[in-house]
Amino acid sequence: MLNALGLIGLTTLLAPWLGRVLDARAGWLLALAPLYGFVWLLGQMPVIAGGGAVVESIAWIPALDVALSFRLDGLSLLFGLLVTGIGTLIVLYAGSYLSDHHHLGRFYAFLLGFMAAMLGLVLADDLIAMFVFWELTSISSYLLISFQHERAASRRAALQALLITGGGGLALLAGLILLGMAGDAWQFSALSAAAIEGHALYPAIMILVLLGCFTKSAQLPFHLWLPNAMEAPTPVSAYLHSATMVKAGVYLMARLNPVMGGEDGWGSILVVVGAATALVGAVLALRQTDLKRILAYTTVTVLGQLTMLIGTNTTYGLQAFVIYLLAHSLYKGALFMAVGAVDHATGTRELVRLGGLIRFMPLTGAAVALAAFSNAGLPPFFGFIAKEFKYAGLIELGPLGWATTGVMIVTNALLLTAAGLVFIRTFLGRQGAYPRTPHEVSLPMWLGPMLLAIGGFLLGAFNNVAEVWLVDSAVQAVARGAIPVNLYLWGGITPAVVASMITVSLGAFVYLKRQAVRHWLARWRRVWQVSGDLLWDRLLKRIFIIAGQVADRFQHGSLRQHVALLAVVGAVFALLGTVLASSHGARLPTASPLSWAAVAGCALAVLGAAGAAMMRERIALVTSLGASGLGVGLFFLAVGAPDVAITQIMVETLTVIFLAMVLNGLPVVQVTGARNSRRRRVHLAVSIGFGLALTLTILIAIGQPLPGDLAAWYLANSLPGGHGANVVNVILVDFRAFDTLGEILVVALAGLAAALLLHRDDNAPAQGKLAHAEFGSVLLRQGLRPLAGLLLLISLVLLWRGHNLPGGGFIGGLVAVCAAVLIALGYGVAQARRMLRVPPSVVAGVGLALAAGAGLFGLADARPFLGSAWLFPGGLPLGTPLMFDVGVFLTVFGAVSHMLFRLMEKEV
Amino acid sequence: MEIVAAVTAGLLASIGVWLLLDRNLVRVVLGIVLLGNSINMAVLTAGRLDNRAAAFVSANGVPEFAGNPLPQALVLTAIVIGFSLFVFALAVLRRTWERHRSTATDRVTEVAEAPAPNLDEKTS
Repeated sequence: MLNALGLIGLTTLLAPWLGRVLDARAGWLLALAPLYGFVWLLGQMPVIAGGGAVVESIAWIPALDVALSFRLDGLSLLFGLLVTGIGTLIVLYAGSYLSDHHHLGRFYAFLLGFMAAMLGLVLADDLIAMFVFWELTSISSYLLISFQHERAASRRAALQALLITGGGGLALLAGLILLGMAGDAWQFSALSAAAIEGHALYPAIMILVLLGCFTKSAQLPFHLWLPNAMEAPTPVSAYLHSATMVKAGVYLMARLNPVMGGEDGWGSILVVVGAATALVGAVLALRQTDLKRILAYTTVTVLGQLTMLIGTNTTYGLQAFVIYLLAHSLYKGALFMAVGAVDHATGTRELVRLGGLIRFMPLTGAAVALAAFSNAGLPPFFGFIAKEFKYAGLIELGPLGWATTGVMIVTNALLLTAAGLVFIRTFLGRQGAYPRTPHEVSLPMWLGPMLLAIGGFLLGAFNNVAEVWLVDSAVQAVARGAIPVNLYLWGGITPAVVASMITVSLGAFVYLKRQAVRHWLARWRRVWQVSGDLLWDRLLKRIFIIAGQVADRFQHGSLRQHVALLAVVGAVFALLGTVLASSHGARLPTASPLSWAAVAGCALAVLGAAGAAMMRERIALVTSLGASGLGVGLFFLAVGAPDVAITQIMVETLTVIFLAMVLNGLPVVQVTGARNSRRRRVHLAVSIGFGLALTLTILIAIGQPLPGDLAAWYLANSLPGGHGANVVNVILVDFRAFDTLGEILVVALAGLAAALLLHRDDNAPAQGKLAHAEFGSVLLRQGLRPLAGLLLLISLVLLWRGHNLPGGGFIGGLVAVCAAVLIALGYGVAQARRMLRVPPSVVAGVGLALAAGAGLFGLADARPFLGSAWLFPGGLPLGTPLMFDVGVFLTVFGAVSHMLFRLMEKEV
Repeated sequence: MEIVAAVTAGLLASIGVWLLLDRNLVRVVLGIVLLGNSINMAVLTAGRLDNRAAAFVSANGVPEFAGNPLPQALVLTAIVIGFSLFVFALAVLRRTWERHRSTATDRVTEVAEAPAPNLDEKTS
């Protein structure tokens, strides 16, 4: 089972390539995959017919108890044979049908992908796995309907189908989860009727699951996507939209019938919805003149009837379900393929232009004749048995059944008329006015319909074979208890036979009087104006409008409103939190003694910030921002964080340089604050509220004792575990190195992104001013070089000693950038680049590679990624953390220099 | 000390948000820097300030009043990342000025955004 599924999946991946290399001939090779599946399934028949099941399973998400478990029983076997058997023929057919299409390989891939999904769907035993396959069929259907995506109608039909089936899929997912909870089992085979039918959740489960099934199987009122899906190439219509995918909903209802079908509601809903769908489909079919659309509406009819038959839950009804399912897939697949052949040969599918085709296309015509007879339910075809049993099953049902039988007689009569239209009107009678001179189609195109049609005939004629090998086990899988299965063509004069006779005569009558009937139908103009498609378009438009309105509310494009909203929400929740915490007895912290240096730092930080907020001169702005940052650095130094302080001071230096460089090209800061004074007050309140919230949050947080002893652990383990005295550095490059790796990645990415933005832009208005970056003073220029060299040396020392003393990769990298700044300012960027020899972006890349590479040592040693490894040459501890720190150094240096050079190049 | 630090962080945050709410993109960029500094102070303060010896250990053992090293490590990287963000913001500022000759935030949105495509034309 897994082999067959895997093979088809693999073929999907190979298809585009094969399609390119072999063109249409690829079909013969690709068809081998479904053929293999078909043969394998045939080989399982004895096991299944003997009442057994084939089970295979692999764990998928063990934590959630989701397994890829597959189970082959009678129902799966029936569907699996249809999927693989018709699939084989369709792959061959598609090769000829689309032989001149330039994306044939892609088409094969979509088709085989669908096949794998559909086969998975019918074989899956796990609820969630089944759902995943279910959605995959929807997606592949979307891709296939929109295959000719250059046409707007195809795109619209594809989207409509996806939205309707996808929406139903959401309901189904909810239903399946509830089902799994109610049944306390996630396998179809493990669910029990006793657990589910009495459960309080049963109504919800039923409605949700049925929504999924009805949308997928195009039941009223969700049927409208199916006729529109005929925009797809004909192989798709034949395969997905008549034989397989649209039957997925029916399949699921049949699959769940044994565990959910006992309640009254289930049966009534299925019978009523099914019968209504069947009637509407049949009436609408007669109004069509396009052969494909006629077939599409008759498919809707059949899907309705199948749904109805599950709902009957009678001996004959369920037998009829299985036979009809099989018969329909065979004849409808054949008819669709034949219509595609007619279209291919004559260039039209319009009834009025067709007729007398049997002379040109005898083989296709013969196949259509056989299929249409089965479609019309005439003996001795399989469709006849299906119809007889259908009536018998409905009559068994009692009053509801009698009423439904009446509806079904009309429906089946109309089906017969439609079958007449497809065969007699197209192939017999006067020669039509074809756009092209017709010719018989090639072997792969008539082989499919012929085989399917003959299959329908043989199954009917030798119905005891079908009964023993296929129908019996499938019926048992659908039924709630054991059901005796006994197929026959002639069972004497029964009510069913009488109904059948009425059907045939009525159908023949309607066919003969079809023009009159059409005219009569057309008189009901009011009714036809109620178009589901029109409603759908209006609904979709409304949804877009509402979505647009909602989006406009939040995506107003005003940066300030976004920031204000974020700040308000953050502040409100933080304040709520502090209020809540203080009501639980949280107190302000006991103040530790003041450090005057720290207080001075704080004062400088606030004053600088206030200055930056108030001043407009560019130099003043840069200076006060720098002062503020230095104040923060002083604070860090005073509270015992030397590494942080050095980093802050280095960053602040670079911030000032970068800011000065950019502001140099901009005008004086003109506007400050909002013009509107009311808005100014609001902004002021938001700012103060945010700051207040932050202050209170910190105070409340540190009022509590520090939970855990993380700090103590790091302090205690730094030297023995990390061979470093500088605990902060050991944390960065060893204990929490993975964190650091992510952070330097961010630094590198930001560098690349900023540099891209700063790339010379030819579209931009020309820069008016050409500044010279180099200093004029010779003395200064001579002095710069040794100074830069010294800085570079210092940066290396800082890097080396960082593990034990203040320093490290980050600080070293920033100091090295300062050296680069000096060189670039003094001698120009071009000179700086020459001296560096390697592009800075490459340096950053090498740094990242070193840092990540240092992690691999741990992996090689079967320890976690970035686990440290040490060597002690001559008692000197050398380890991967040093390598990692070098990586940090290079990344920071490379990324920042990259941005710096780009920015300065722009300046010149 | 904690109270002073917390109030400072709050004040810096207030000024930062005030600048972020400005119409001028230059001041927005300054606001990003101040807000970053404020949050860094807040994180370090949240690690408690009662022990103010630098977190350096020796073979003789752990110093008695060693500060909490974890927030320091977090803040150290945060400073560098904040700097990268700042330079990126500067690049955006620079680019905006070159493209649109304007640094007013709301005005930039008007000139930079293309009108939404009309869906009706495609489907009909």
